[in-house]
Amino acid sequence: MKYLAPKTVEEATTLLAEHPGATVFAGATDVIPQLKAGRPEPEALVDLKKISQAVSVSDEGGHWSIGAATATAKLTGNKALAAEFPGLVEAAGLIGSDQVQSRATLGGNLCNASPAADSVPAMIANGMRAVIAGPGGTRTVAVEDIPTGPGSTQLQPGEFVVSFELDHAPARTGDAYLRLIPRTEMDIAVVGAGVRITLDDAGNVASATVAIGAVAPTARRVPAAEEALVGNPINDTTLAAVAEAASAACNPIDDKRGTIAYRRQVAGVLARRAVVAAAERAAASTNGASNNGETR
Amino acid sequence: MSVGGTPRRIDSEGKVTGVTEYPADRIPPDALVAKVVFTNQAHARLTSLDVRAAEVTPGVVAVFTAPDVPVNVYGLTLPDQPVFVGTSHTGRTDVPCDVSRWEADHLALVVAETAHAADQAAAAIVATWEPLPVLGDIDEAMAPGAPLLHPENGLGHNVYTTYNIRKGDMAAGWAAAAAVVEATYEVPYQEHAYLQPEAGMAYIDDHGRVTVEIAGQWTHEDREQIAHALDLPEDEIRVIYPAIGGAFGGREDTSLQIVLALAAWRLHQRGEHRPVGCVWSREESIVGHHKRHRGRIQARWGADAEGRITAVESEAWLDAGGYNYTSNKVLGNLHLGQGGPYEVPNAQVTSHAVYTNAVPGGAFRGFGGPQSAYVAECQMNKLAEALGLDPVEIRRRNVLRDGSIGITQTPMPDGVTIAQVVEACAAAASTPPPASPSEPFTPFATLGPAAGDLRRGRGFACAFKNVGFSFGFPERCEAEIVLHGAVGDDAPHGADLFHAGADVGQGAHTVFTQMAAEALGLPIERVHGHFSDTAITGDSGSASASRLTWMAGNAILGAAEEADKAWRNGDRPAVGKFRYVPPPTEALDPETGVCTPNFSYGYVAQAVELTVDTGTGHIRVDRVVSTHDVGRAINPDLVVAQIEGGVVQAHGYVLSEDLQVRDARIQTPRLSTYLIPGIGDGPTVIEPLILELADPIGPWGARGMAEMPMMTYAPAVVAALHDATGVWFDAFPLTPSRVLARLNESGRP
Repeated sequence: MKYLAPKTVEEATTLLAEHPGATVFAGATDVIPQLKAGRPEPEALVDLKKISQAVSVSDEGGHWSIGAATATAKLTGNKALAAEFPGLVEAAGLIGSDQVQSRATLGGNLCNASPAADSVPAMIANGMRAVIAGPGGTRTVAVEDIPTGPGSTQLQPGEFVVSFELDHAPARTGDAYLRLIPRTEMDIAVVGAGVRITLDDAGNVASATVAIGAVAPTARRVPAAEEALVGNPINDTTLAAVAEAASAACNPIDDKRGTIAYRRQVAGVLARRAVVAAAERAAASTNGASNNGETR
Repeated sequence: MSVGGTPRRIDSEGKVTGVTEYPADRIPPDALVAKVVFTNQAHARLTSLDVRAAEVTPGVVAVFTAPDVPVNVYGLTLPDQPVFVGTSHTGRTDVPCDVSRWEADHLALVVAETAHAADQAAAAIVATWEPLPVLGDIDEAMAPGAPLLHPENGLGHNVYTTYNIRKGDMAAGWAAAAAVVEATYEVPYQEHAYLQPEAGMAYIDDHGRVTVEIAGQWTHEDREQIAHALDLPEDEIRVIYPAIGGAFGGREDTSLQIVLALAAWRLHQRGEHRPVGCVWSREESIVGHHKRHRGRIQARWGADAEGRITAVESEAWLDAGGYNYTSNKVLGNLHLGQGGPYEVPNAQVTSHAVYTNAVPGGAFRGFGGPQSAYVAECQMNKLAEALGLDPVEIRRRNVLRDGSIGITQTPMPDGVTIAQVVEACAAAASTPPPASPSEPFTPFATLGPAAGDLRRGRGFACAFKNVGFSFGFPERCEAEIVLHGAVGDDAPHGADLFHAGADVGQGAHTVFTQMAAEALGLPIERVHGHFSDTAITGDSGSASASRLTWMAGNAILGAAEEADKAWRNGDRPAVGKFRYVPPPTEALDPETGVCTPNFSYGYVAQAVELTVDTGTGHIRVDRVVSTHDVGRAINPDLVVAQIEGGVVQAHGYVLSEDLQVRDARIQTPRLSTYLIPGIGDGPTVIEPLILELADPIGPWGARGMAEMPMMTYAPAVVAALHDATGVWFDAFPLTPSRVLARLNESGRP
């Protein structure tokens, strides 16, 4: 098994073309345990961490660019990003442990394609896009469209995610990610819920994105919950509709970590609570044009 | 003074700096590598076994199987387990050796130059099996027509041990009852999850002894079992314990002891003298050693209008698994606890151990006590609810006192202090906790704003637990002290202490040294301990049953007295050897259970405050007051450490540890799916409350205390959860999904 560490996107695509059996990795927090558990060794491991574009976080004016191979500790340590997207940053800060977060990345979390990946519902809720490089050049795809099932993605041979684009939040916007595990740390989500809410001047929901994780083959949006929110205030009626829609959207499995019935019920509870948390942040939000300079 | 002080632990420097050697650290680089090959069959008959390909695998030195073992059977309290399942053996056991009754039965031991070669050879072993019906649990094992797992015992069924208690007049008891509470309780497995998975090495020492260095709990018992299987005199076997990374009862039975000894002995006969080492992975450890018993208890209790117990009717079944291990002894302890620490005028109690094909049940901190204390205390709390009594008040009216006759119809040993323990715990719990020096964790922040879903509750429970071995076991503990000094000296300038007792991490060797220093009037640094090596120490008995400080203390006191006599007689060095034997105990009468079961007890009460998230089923234990009469705290810091560690271990047992077994096979052999508490998971506040009410026959008044924190946590948490939600939980662990399912089905809150 070869270790290859390209320094540019072009070099990486060339190496991947030369080594069709290669596995791309960033923090290796999934790849190494998988190899230790007996997964066949690939022909080569291609490390993306030497590509500067893949390990940087920058405000590009209209949007943030977040390198796909950036350690999540860099995200939780980025005050401007955390102020604008606290839910996304909290999701990144829930992966594994502090030690794991010094290596783990959003790109790896997405492309490992675990249905339980913590950062994915939060990325979906915030409308993030993945910039994909490959033999045919570069393309940009919505994060929610990348996983296609447990362990599988729509990435084609030779392709890899270089970075993510995250548009700046409009005014009166808040996001939240809630995650359920039996313990308090070091575990894999049994249910996750990512929500983003934008309020209008009257305090009603202007736009909403609700995404749930670990309750279906991939993280998924819950359009019925979003529809129940838009145009309405946050109250018991809309929250009950959100919970019902989130539970109905589940297609979970029974496994060692939770039953179908439990996951379905708690998905509703967490979606409801995440909406409340996101709406509270939206109401208190200082995001938007009025004070760009202060929060970034 | 050494007793009552908190000197630096004698093992602290080595453990902090990393120079302390645990068994795996002792294995030299040139050692041969042994691999235990499990049968991987929950229940099947071995029809053929071919190890020829394994033997010729490059790097393989030997493959040992059943015919290599002189006596192919072992067992701590009942020899019912083949060392290796095999198609043939020497014939010196009645136990059929061609049947695998457990997925982790041993099929072979491969010895190789490298771990890789050992793995390759293990994979090259060809075994053919005739499947037999798998008895996955006690219901299947007790069903009519179930195959017999141990036909050699001649019983004709898989229920192989039953104890009774018949006391008083049950009809009169029910007639006097103003309230009756009845339920069927299910108790779960628990895995020991010690930091150090099983590891050891064996070699022939300079005196020709087959020597095993390993982590265990009782050197001399390990030696006896090795000698039995190898059919060698005990003095040709030597067992040494290096540092031990936790035990909790999980090392009470042997793991690698016999097979490593066998390998070193057989290889030596062939002219191969290198040591043989083996280190189990976490998965091998979890699959390969016994667990706290799961089981079922049906209980029906009555009390009069004042809350005094009038009748206890109770029947228990423990899943012993494929082999006895210590199940027949654990069962006795559970049996005694079914009536709780109370005056019970009328009792009908029955307890059974049942063979199944699941993982064996065995010793684990509390030794059957936590299971029966859970049931007894839930029954008591339900009676309090039914009668409108305060949980503390109803205990006040029922607890055993000095002079009480216990449920086995003999007087309690003097020094019954549970009433004082209950009062102290209740008083402490009713006052606010001390201010926390730092911000508490906010562990369930990831569950979001849940204010409307949170409920708070409080619960109380108390228990007793025997100190020392019970029911007529020949209890004893030896110690030897050697005093050094010149002929004309008034007092010795130093002493050597020889003691076999196992320091499993609890600090036993520090405590032994403190007690010897105290008994001799020497500074602690003048006492040099030599521990846990059968070549130089006498039989101490096990590090179990909360007995070691108590028994070793009495033995050390005796040895100090003998050494002092020799000193005053002019001997230089002056040697004192002593074998302490406590007051005798008796086996249960088969029909009535009448006996003197124990010679000493420890007493505990716990008060729990918790918060439950009724949206997700999560429970946060905000505070536990853990109150213990330890008689005399020989080392208060170590007592506190035992309480805190025991509470956290109990927390996992009650709340998160869920050993999943399907078709008698463990589904959760990793710490990623078997969830022990992490640093953020335990109670937010643990308040250890230590009482020192002397045991009249304990050394310096000390009582055993190591198991007591495990005893009452489950019923105290369940009572608090009931207080919070109005719902009783007659089964645990209280994982979020189980809690939510039970709340859903009860329609509350």
